[in-house]
Amino acid sequence: MENYLNQIKQIVVEDNSALFDTTNMFYKEFPSDYRQIRYFTLLIVQSAPLEIKEINLLEQQISEIIKNAVKHGNKCRPEKKVRVWYSFSPTHAHLIVQDEGDGFKDLEKWNDFNRKRLELLAEQKYDELTDFVSFRTAKSDDNDGGNALFAALEYWNGGVVYNNKRNGVAVLKKFQQKRHGG
Amino acid sequence: MELKIRKNGNNYIIDVNGEMDLYNSYKLKELVMKMLEKKVEKFIINLENVDYIDSSGIGALIYICSTIKKMNFRLIITNIHGSVKKVIELTKLMGYFPITNSIDEAILQMEE
Repeated sequence: MENYLNQIKQIVVEDNSALFDTTNMFYKEFPSDYRQIRYFTLLIVQSAPLEIKEINLLEQQISEIIKNAVKHGNKCRPEKKVRVWYSFSPTHAHLIVQDEGDGFKDLEKWNDFNRKRLELLAEQKYDELTDFVSFRTAKSDDNDGGNALFAALEYWNGGVVYNNKRNGVAVLKKFQQKRHGG
Repeated sequence: MELKIRKNGNNYIIDVNGEMDLYNSYKLKELVMKMLEKKVEKFIINLENVDYIDSSGIGALIYICSTIKKMNFRLIITNIHGSVKKVIELTKLMGYFPITNSIDEAILQMEE
């Protein structure tokens, strides 16, 4: 149990993180149009090699980050841009998404909430877990699942890092290279 | 996303077809809430034909599951596969949701 809790991952705030180095990354920017989130995501994911797409898991994880920028960062105001840097290879997916919003103010609260959630899961306290399956703030609406970042922290195994202003997030996923043939 | 309801004894099976994403997951939530108003007590949600789910879809399932649990009614989610299963696993909710591998298994569990 203690070992398990020591391994609990959390969201980090660090401007100087190597994950914010955009060298050799592709770049696109989009207006904050909620209706086009999945379309924008596809424009980015299309450059990823097939073997890391895992059917559509990579697409799904990227769309969550773009959705957060469009909706929670830029409040769906089309004049505000979402800037995306990305790079893919058979062994990695690296993404930086920046919005023009005020930043993820509740980041520490989210980390505390997630820690409690993981403790309850480790202890299999499913009744109490009911209050920890969805992270809500005063600004959450009915369409916010409140669970996207839980999955993100698991999926992006190379880290989930915010800039100091907390309106930019960098994520990295490392993949095991699949061996071909016998 | 398309939703179809069929009845098996006292069980109402909802077949979900398509993608449970940020644009349409609310439809499933609304349907279940309407069915609860009409006194339906046993729900089986069949995800056999769902190949894509995002946090809004997971959120809809959480909402449905917690509402039905609070009312002491029954829910089973079945035929979870592919990336849908992976997303639920990443969210660590496989133990939270009542899940079976098939509709037959769900119906059997409902009878217990």
